[in-house]
Amino acid sequence: MPPAREPPVSEVVLTGIQKSFGANPIVKGVDLRVAQGEFLVLVGPSGCGKTTLLRLIAGLETIDAGELTIGGRRVNDLPPRERDVAMVFQSYALYPHMSVRENLAFGLALRKMPKAEIDARVAEAASLLELSGLLERKPKALSGGQRQRVAMGRAIVRRPKLFLFDEPLSNLDTALRVQMRGELARLHRKLATTMIYVTHDQVEAMTLATRVAVFNAGVLQQVGAPLALYDRPGNRFVAGFLGSPAMNFLDVRREGASLAGKGFALAVPDGLPPNEGPELLVGLRPQDLVVGSAGPLQGQVEAVERLGFDGYAYLSSPAGPVAARFDKGTNVAVGDSVRVSPVRDAVHAFTADGSRALRHPFESVAREAAS
Amino acid sequence: MKLWHSYRGAEEEALEKSAALFEQQTGEKVDLLAIPNDVLGDKLTAAIPHGVGPDVFIFNHERLRSFQHLGIVTASDGSIDKSAYFANAVDALSVDGKTYGYPLSLKCLALYFNTRLVPRPPADTTELERLLPGLSRPDENRFGLAYETGNFYFHAPFLFGFGGDLFDAGGRATFDTKGMVRSLEYVKRLQDSRFIPMETSGALVKSLFNDERAAMVVSGPWFAGEIAPSVKYGVAQLPRNSETGRPMSPFLGVEAAFVSPRSAQLPQAQALARFLSVGAASRLRAVTGRQVPANAAAYEDSAVQEDSLISSFRQAAANATPMPNTLEMARVWEPMKLALRAVLQGGVAPAEAGALADRRYRALHRERPPDASPVPYLAVGALALVAGGAYLARKPRALLPFRRRYPDVARAAVYTGPAVAGLLVLVAVPFVVGISLSLFHHEAGSYSFVGLANFADILASRGYRISEPLSFYFTLVVTVAWTLVNVVLHVGLGLFLAILLKEPLLKLRGVFRVLLIVPWAVPNYITALMWKGLFHRQFGAINGFLVLLGLEPVSWFTRFSTSFAANVATNTWLGFPFMMVVALGALQSIPQDLYEAAEVDGASKWVQFRRITLPLLRPALLPAVILGSVWTFNMFNIIYLVSGGEPGGSTDILVSEAYRWAFQRNEQYGFAAAYSVLIFFVLLGWSTVTKRVTRATDELMG
Amino acid sequence: MRRRSALWVAALHAGLVLVCAATLYPVLWVVKMALSPTESLSLSANPLPSEVSFEHFQAVLFAHDSAGRWVFGRQLLASLVVSGATTVVGLTLAVSAAYALSRFKFPGKQGGMQALLVTQMFPATLMLVPLYSILQRLSLLDSLGGLVLVYATSSLPFSIWMLKGYFDTLPRELEEAAVMDGASPGQVFLRVVLPLARPALAVTALFSFMTAWNEFILAATLLNDASMFTLPVGLQRYVGEYKVEWGKFAAGALVVSAPVMALFFALQKHLVGGLTAGGVKG
Repeated sequence: MPPAREPPVSEVVLTGIQKSFGANPIVKGVDLRVAQGEFLVLVGPSGCGKTTLLRLIAGLETIDAGELTIGGRRVNDLPPRERDVAMVFQSYALYPHMSVRENLAFGLALRKMPKAEIDARVAEAASLLELSGLLERKPKALSGGQRQRVAMGRAIVRRPKLFLFDEPLSNLDTALRVQMRGELARLHRKLATTMIYVTHDQVEAMTLATRVAVFNAGVLQQVGAPLALYDRPGNRFVAGFLGSPAMNFLDVRREGASLAGKGFALAVPDGLPPNEGPELLVGLRPQDLVVGSAGPLQGQVEAVERLGFDGYAYLSSPAGPVAARFDKGTNVAVGDSVRVSPVRDAVHAFTADGSRALRHPFESVAREAAS
Repeated sequence: MKLWHSYRGAEEEALEKSAALFEQQTGEKVDLLAIPNDVLGDKLTAAIPHGVGPDVFIFNHERLRSFQHLGIVTASDGSIDKSAYFANAVDALSVDGKTYGYPLSLKCLALYFNTRLVPRPPADTTELERLLPGLSRPDENRFGLAYETGNFYFHAPFLFGFGGDLFDAGGRATFDTKGMVRSLEYVKRLQDSRFIPMETSGALVKSLFNDERAAMVVSGPWFAGEIAPSVKYGVAQLPRNSETGRPMSPFLGVEAAFVSPRSAQLPQAQALARFLSVGAASRLRAVTGRQVPANAAAYEDSAVQEDSLISSFRQAAANATPMPNTLEMARVWEPMKLALRAVLQGGVAPAEAGALADRRYRALHRERPPDASPVPYLAVGALALVAGGAYLARKPRALLPFRRRYPDVARAAVYTGPAVAGLLVLVAVPFVVGISLSLFHHEAGSYSFVGLANFADILASRGYRISEPLSFYFTLVVTVAWTLVNVVLHVGLGLFLAILLKEPLLKLRGVFRVLLIVPWAVPNYITALMWKGLFHRQFGAINGFLVLLGLEPVSWFTRFSTSFAANVATNTWLGFPFMMVVALGALQSIPQDLYEAAEVDGASKWVQFRRITLPLLRPALLPAVILGSVWTFNMFNIIYLVSGGEPGGSTDILVSEAYRWAFQRNEQYGFAAAYSVLIFFVLLGWSTVTKRVTRATDELMG
Repeated sequence: MRRRSALWVAALHAGLVLVCAATLYPVLWVVKMALSPTESLSLSANPLPSEVSFEHFQAVLFAHDSAGRWVFGRQLLASLVVSGATTVVGLTLAVSAAYALSRFKFPGKQGGMQALLVTQMFPATLMLVPLYSILQRLSLLDSLGGLVLVYATSSLPFSIWMLKGYFDTLPRELEEAAVMDGASPGQVFLRVVLPLARPALAVTALFSFMTAWNEFILAATLLNDASMFTLPVGLQRYVGEYKVEWGKFAAGALVVSAPVMALFFALQKHLVGGLTAGGVKG
């Protein structure tokens, strides 16, 4: 492996970035700071504007309002080639009329780099990505995974300040995707360059990111370390987006010491601010709900997913659909009427409209342990 | 100095020698340019007024009056010595008391006879009729006499022989005369007895005489150069008409050297033209070119005297009727051609042909519409401009500033600029000029503003019944039928072949595909001439097939239905490969799994075709169909070269009709432009409707 | 999936052979006319010449005019120059305009596309009279350059439509990738877009070339100088009003058609994809 290079200064700062297409606002004022060497994953459902945000950073779209700086320099009005940014496209966008070598060398040749250096860089990137034997092939003679690596190679040879990835793994099958995820992570460790990665896949977000930014409807919902977002989602959207199966949400009303929903009641958890409510929203992750013969929630089993060690049951309950975990040994069949109970202190609580989290689970446990 | 002519072969050689002599004597360089006979006139009228024409040109005297109107000839009075030429030749060159040009040679028709078959030429028609049965063997394609029967120039001797007059005292052409009827009856009888071939072209006459399958031929001096050396022949005057006792008097044409008034060196040009008409040049023309000199002194040369061809033609010319150089004469050809062909093809009785010709003559002779004042038109135009401007100005302001809405405007201007500039200058400007021409009347080189009169005449079908081929509506119906039939055949055949070529079990797919696109690669004027040959009544391969099958040969261009079919066959051959290739491409884009899914669902091949292939082909085929129909609608070459509008202009489509008004009927550019504008609107309307309909169905289909 | 009897396959082949025979039949007649030594015509359905002679070809190919110039050679050169230049000029203009129409946003874009289609609707022969005056005013009459400009512009509407259709199918991401790689707009166009559009370029070039190579009405009208005549104008001389030299015309027709046919066969693979704007999958 070649020696690690000093990564270039490449802090990316977005301030009040806005973009609309015609009368359609797509990005509605985003503030975000991506630190030097960070691997930031922008995650959100399709059509949320995350790809547009990425293209704004790349310079493929013009910014309507706000300020974008890369490495301390304002780049709003710079064309892409002057921003020193590389991008990997979802479709890879390999030039079909060029060999792998030419694809890799294209950007360098455009910069009039000496031939010897181009060759060296191509060779380096090729060996890093295990493409050395494929350099003379045309893209259509490559497998999906190989094309993907060429697309990354094309970004790497440039040694840019900043890498941008637009759902680069979404065209691969599951096994390859897992493998490429690993390679991406390794790459980031090695290059230590700032990377911004767009995906709708929460697993990629959770596994790759140093920080995750959840995006929805043109608005940044929450930014933070993957586990922090999982444990302490700031609103209903983030809570529901991260985690699979998705979190169960139940409407409740605070009635004294209990939270009453349709056909069930839970004890008011610790740490729930007393002045909020009475209408509230409770979130329970399926992993924290156990199917059994007892528990506050009752429902009819509609579908069962057995994953081996455990499984999930999907119930219809008076309060709405609920997903819950069961152990291997538990007997659950479609049509059964079962009860589920949350594990201790598993309750997320939100304002009734879901816009703000009021309480996260296990914090009291953690506090107890700390004290 | 530039000299334009239409000579070929020996005649050209004689001219070249004469020009060389002139160069020797004067040191003036002469550039000769040979231009095919049928386009020379149009080129002259186009080029000379623009100052790019020749200094001297050689042309028949027949169009002299029109040339004089256009101001493209200079009077030779003062320079010409009239006594040097035959008097009737000089007369032919005078207009309103002035003489134009210098007479070079005389052209008229005479009788060529094969001396092996006809030792002594017939002196009168009685002798001719006695000879003909023995010389004609129709089953072997042998004929006693051959000439271009459908051409009035060749029919004129018969007409004059029967005492028919072409012009009345007032100078107007008359057709409905006794002489006309009798001459037509006579010729029709010759043809029905199969003494003369049908649908005869100049090429056919030549080939029959050279193969010794035509014993006698009526033709002019130019024909001598076409005769194969193996054929021994003599030339005689046309026989006397035994019934009337009159000679069969042909038209006399005088070829003359004319001087362009735009010549930069008028004196030298006059000198050159004069030089060519007398002295050594005149002798060269007789001896080398074997033309009949108009210069009397040439006949003193012993070589000229001994040439029996030239002396025969000189005699024939003495009996000939000088062709009037009037505009009326120019209007006679098309009606007479119509009448002649109608009679010979059997559609019209000889007694009715005169009336037919007369009607066509009057229809073609459009009275000049009264001048209109351009003021109302300019006012309407200005109003439209103001209204348009106001509309643009009142348009609500865009949400975004211009630069933001169209960030690429500057680059787009650079990328499209050259193409736009080219299209503006060479397409848009001629287009606008063409449209505005439709508001003018063009006669003899000058335009007068007549407003919408041209349109009114066309749309009111003034001068002819709606059901006549000359009427706009008749032609429109024919054009629409032509377009529909062709497009249906193109798409049907193309799609059918494309589907066959897609068949997975097909071997040699590439070979078939290559062979089937051959017609596309052939230039379409070659295709047209090729197919015209195939449809020839007597020598065409199509009739060859019919005979092979034991059927009667068909005279393809004598009936509307067969003539139309011949055009369609030609155009189908020409056009199906394009649709086939488009369909092949479109078929390739249909995912195979759709068919597999349909097969699993139990759909039959037919249902698969109707439910999968057709709907999915539509988006790819539709633009091709629209473009193809526009092309077919304006497919001039095929109509003009294959059927030529026969019979009687009924198979003409709108473009070829417009072309005839512009270039074959006294250059009625304004009228032709009005036709073009109507064509344009028809097509515009059609494409708008198709677009509406397809948009509607697309919405229906989601 | 498809099980078809041997009979069906035989019928398919027989049918196609028949269609091909019918397609080639008229061409064989031209060959026959060109190869038959005499100009004799006879009623026959046989497309094979009874006697073979190359005299017509010889007469067409090796004729010299009075000044001793090789007529066919000059006409061939003129045709090649005109057609080649038409292709280059027409393609250059069409490619850049089509790219702008496909990729850029600018006012008048829709209208422009419609206007291109509309130009196809006005009868070309009737534009001759005004066109003549315009070229004369530009001093482009009687020059090959003027002819090239007229041909190039008249082939533009179709070329632009076709190329625009093809550009529309090219994935924009390729161009964006090039932009990210640091290419200027010109470099994107020249080094990424053009190579990708090769099939469509080939087909468009073929059509431009054909337009110029086959055209004779404009050439006959706009050119006066015999030394600049193109092949079709030369060919036209064999079919005059009084004298039709079918043998020479046929021989000339074959010679004129041959290069276009050769191009067609060379490019026929592209023809299918280029015409219908196939996608590029990288």
